[in-house]
Amino acid sequence: MVQASAPRIPWRPWGFIRDLMGTAGMRGRWVVIAPPFLWLLIFFLIPLLVIIKISFSQSVVGQPPYLPLLTLNDQGDVQLTLHLSNFMYLGQDSLYLAAFLSSLKIALISTIVALVVGYPIAYFIARSSDRWRNILLMLVILPFWSSFLLRVYAWIGFLKNNGVIDNLLQAFGLPQVTILYTDFAVYLGIVYTYLPFMILPLYTNLVKLDEALLEASADLGARPFRTFLSVTLPLSIPGMVAGSLLVFIPAIGEYVIPQLLGGPSTLMIGRVLWDEFFSNRDWPMAASVAIAMLVVVVVPLMFLQRAQSAVVERR
Amino acid sequence: MLDKPQLAADTRPWRDPEAKPFVRIRDVTKKFGDVAAVNHVSLDIYKGELFCLLGGSGSGKSTLLRMLAGFEDLTSGTIEIDGQDMAGVPPYQRPVNMMFQSYALFPHMNVWHNIAYGLKRDRLAVPEIEARVAELLKLVKLEGYESRRPSQLSGGQRQRVALARSLAKRPKLLLLDEPLGALDKKLREETQYELVKIQETTGVTFIVVTHDQEEAMSLATRIGVMNQGEIAMIGEPTDIYEFPNSRFVAGFIGSVNMFEGVVTEDEDDHVRIRSAEAGTDIYVSHGVDCAPDQILWWAIRPEKITLSRDKPAAEFEGANVTHGTVEDVVYLGDMTVFQVVLESGKRLRVTKANSLRGDPDAISWDEQVWASWSGNAGSVLVS
Amino acid sequence: MKRGPFIPIVATLGFIFLYAPIISLVVFSFNASKLVTVWGGFSTRWYGELFANEQVLGAGLLSLQIAASSATLALILGTLCAVALTRFRRFRGKTLLGAMVSAPLVMPDVITGLSLLLLFVGLQELIGWPAGRGTLTIIIAHATFCMAYVTVVVQSRLSDLDISLEEAAQDLGATPARVFFDITLPIIAPALISGWLLSFTLSLDDLVIASFVAGPDSNTLPMVIFSKMKLGVSPDINALASVIIGIVALGVVIATVLQLRRPAAARS
Repeated sequence: MVQASAPRIPWRPWGFIRDLMGTAGMRGRWVVIAPPFLWLLIFFLIPLLVIIKISFSQSVVGQPPYLPLLTLNDQGDVQLTLHLSNFMYLGQDSLYLAAFLSSLKIALISTIVALVVGYPIAYFIARSSDRWRNILLMLVILPFWSSFLLRVYAWIGFLKNNGVIDNLLQAFGLPQVTILYTDFAVYLGIVYTYLPFMILPLYTNLVKLDEALLEASADLGARPFRTFLSVTLPLSIPGMVAGSLLVFIPAIGEYVIPQLLGGPSTLMIGRVLWDEFFSNRDWPMAASVAIAMLVVVVVPLMFLQRAQSAVVERR
Repeated sequence: MLDKPQLAADTRPWRDPEAKPFVRIRDVTKKFGDVAAVNHVSLDIYKGELFCLLGGSGSGKSTLLRMLAGFEDLTSGTIEIDGQDMAGVPPYQRPVNMMFQSYALFPHMNVWHNIAYGLKRDRLAVPEIEARVAELLKLVKLEGYESRRPSQLSGGQRQRVALARSLAKRPKLLLLDEPLGALDKKLREETQYELVKIQETTGVTFIVVTHDQEEAMSLATRIGVMNQGEIAMIGEPTDIYEFPNSRFVAGFIGSVNMFEGVVTEDEDDHVRIRSAEAGTDIYVSHGVDCAPDQILWWAIRPEKITLSRDKPAAEFEGANVTHGTVEDVVYLGDMTVFQVVLESGKRLRVTKANSLRGDPDAISWDEQVWASWSGNAGSVLVS
Repeated sequence: MKRGPFIPIVATLGFIFLYAPIISLVVFSFNASKLVTVWGGFSTRWYGELFANEQVLGAGLLSLQIAASSATLALILGTLCAVALTRFRRFRGKTLLGAMVSAPLVMPDVITGLSLLLLFVGLQELIGWPAGRGTLTIIIAHATFCMAYVTVVVQSRLSDLDISLEEAAQDLGATPARVFFDITLPIIAPALISGWLLSFTLSLDDLVIASFVAGPDSNTLPMVIFSKMKLGVSPDINALASVIIGIVALGVVIATVLQLRRPAAARS
C-alpha cells in the first residue's frame, strides 16, 4: 500500500528548459498549448489555405498536376498568376449549381426525416427507467461503432432488385419497386447513418427536462398531447437544433452514400468533388469546388456553435 | 490559581501594542474586470488566533481567503505571512494549507492516501509519513478508517478527513472555507467545539470564512465583518455584538431594534436623543462624539429591553420608557419573543429568557405594556 | 403520468429500422448461395474464403496498425488541447485553437482529404518530406480529424471535474504538472479511454480521407471493401461485415456491462 519514496534523480533537465522558455517570454503553459496548436496549424489550417491557392491554378499533365502560382518570368522577377477560370466555370456550368442545390435539398429532407424518426426514439429513451435507459442508449450507439461503410452496404442488399425488400414484396404479391440507385435510397442511407447523431443531442436535452414541469402542466389541466406541445417541444428546441445541424452539415458533403446507393442522376457536391479529383484528375477544379462547399457549410456551422452553447448552458 | 481575566489578557495579542502580527494584509484590492471584489482591505491577524471573516455572499470574504491561499492574484496591495511577502509565491510553495468548502477529497484515493498526499509532496521518509498520518487520524477520531474511500464516508467523516489532510503538513496558517456549512445542526454544534479544541491543541493560526454569524460567534477569537469588499468592523465577538460601529454591523449580527433620532442634549457625560419612532426620549449615560441637532441612530438588542404591565419608575425623566401593545408572542422554549407595536406604529422586538418554569403571570397577546431600558443598554450609531 | 402506446410503438419501429439491415447482413453471410439475397442453405464457406483472402487480411492488419497509431496520437494531442481550452483562462490564440479543433467535426470528409493531400504534395515539393504518400500520411490525416473528437470528449469530462480537487492538490504542495498526473489524469481516465476507442473506430472506418492521402502500396480495409462493393454485392463482404459487427457488438456490450456494474457513486 505504501510506496517507498522515489530515489532522488541527480540531474533534472526541466529546470534548464524552464529557464530557457522564461527568457523567451513563454511560460510553462506553452508546453501544453504548443503541440496541438502547431499540429492544427500545419495539418488543418494551412491545408485550407493550400486549397485556396490551388483553386487559382490550372490543371496540367505532370507531377504535380497543377501550375505553380509563383513563377519567375523572363526578366527574373517573381510573378503571381491567378487563374479565375475555375470559379468562372463553377458559375457558368449548370452542373455545379444543380449539384449544390441538389445536395442542399437532399440534406434538408434527410435532416427533417431524421428529426421525425429520431425524436420519438430519443423521447422514449429519456422517459425510460434508469436501467433500460443505459441498455437502449447502448443499442442506439452500437450501429455507430460498427463500420459505416458496411452499414450502407447492408442497405444495398435490402434495396436492390431481388433484394430483401423486393423479395418481401413479391412474397405478398405486390409489384416490384425500384429503390436502389435512386434519390430515395440516398435519403434512406443518410437518415440511417446519421440517426444516432440526431438521437444523442435530443436525448441529452430531453433527459434534463424536469418531470415536475410536466406534472405542473397536467395539474393545471392540460392533456398529455397539449403538455407535449406547450412544454416539452419548446424546451427541446436546443437539442433539435444541435441534432439537425449534426446531420445537415456533414450530409451536404457526403460522398459514399450517394456513390453506393444513388443513381447517375443523383447529384451531390461531394461526389462532384471526388469525380473532379479522381476521374478528371483536375485538382484545381476540385479545389474550387471545395471552396464553394466551404462557403455553403460555414453559415450553418455558425448556427451549430450557438446551438451547442445553448444545450451546454442548460446544465 | 490564575486569575481568569488576567489569563485572557495574556492570550489576546491584538491587545498588546508590542505584538507583531502573523498575517499582514495591507491595502489589498482585487478586481474582476471593473468590479472590486475586495476593496482596499487592511487586516492584521496574530499567531494562534482563530479569526473569522464573516459576511454575506458577495462580501469578498472568499476572494480574500483565496488570495491568502495563492489561488488569486492581487490587483494591488501586499500580503505578508510570518514576515514573508507572498507576491508571486504559488500555492504549492506557501506555508499555508486550506480546507475547502466541498472538502475536495481525492475520490480515487483512500483516506490514508488523501491525508498522506501533502506529506509525500514534501518527500518525507515513509516511517515519518506513517507516524504522522496515524497521529492525525487519532486527532480527528477516525482511527480504523484508513482504507475507506471518500464515497464510503458520511458528511461529518469527510469533513474530518479534510481537516486532517489540511493539518498534516503543520502549516503556519490554516484557511477554512465554510467548514461547517454542509453539516446538520446537531453535528455542527459538536464539530464547532471540536474545531476550537483542535485549534487550541495544535496552536495553528486559523482563518475561517463563514456567512453564519452563530458559527463566527462561537468559533472566533476575533471576527472581521465584511460588506461589499470592505471591512465593516474587526473585534472580539462581544465587541461586535454589544458595541457595533455602524448600522450595518448592528443589523448583520443577531436581531436589533433601530431608532432614528435627533440629538437634543450633547454633554460630556450623557446624550439625549429625541425619537418620534420610539415615542420617548432616549437617554444615553455616556458621552458620544456628535453635535447638537445631529441626526443619528440608536440600536438596542431585544434582550436588553424589559416589559412590564405597570409603568416603571423613570430613572431619567421622560426617557427610556415607552408604551405599546403586544402584537405577537412566540414561545421558543428557552426564551419568548414578543413583538410590540408602539404608538408610532414601529414594531419592537423584545426577548425574555424563560427563567420561571410555567409562569402564570406571563405577558400575553394584545396586552398593553411598558417597555423600558437602562442608560447604556443601546449603541449610538452615526453611520 | 399516463403513457400512451404511441411513443413506444414508434420507438420500437425506429429500433427495427436501425437493426434490420444489420441482421439481414449477418443472416445472409451464412448463405450457401452466391446470390446474396436468395437463401440457398446454411454454409460457412464465405468465412473460410474470407480468412484465406490475403488482400483483405493484409488490409485489415494495416488498418489496425494505422488506427492504433492515430488513436494514440490523437489522444495525446486532443487531451493537451482539452486541458488548454478548459483550464487555461486566457492566452493568445485561444479562440483560434477552439475553432480549429471543432471544425473537423463537421467538415465534409472530401474537403479534409483533399486539403491534406494538397498539403502533402506541396510539402514534398518544398522540403522533400513526406516522400510519397503512404501509411504515415494516413496516420497524420487520421490523427488530425480524430483529435477533434478526443477534445470534445475530454473537454466535457474536464469541465465537470471539480476544480477544487486540483486546487487542493496544489495547496498540499503539488506543482501543476504533478496535479495533472496525480489527480486529473486518474479521474478523467474513463474519458481518455472512450476518446481512444472513438478515435480507433473512426480511423478504422474511414474511407474518403484515406483514399485521398494513401499511397499506391497502402490500401486500408475500407478501401479494399469499397472497391469490392463497386463491383456489386458479394457474400464474402457479408462475412467480413459480420465479423466486424460481431467484434464491435462484443466490445460495446462488455463496455456497457462494466459501466453498469460500477457502484453508482463512482459513475460520473
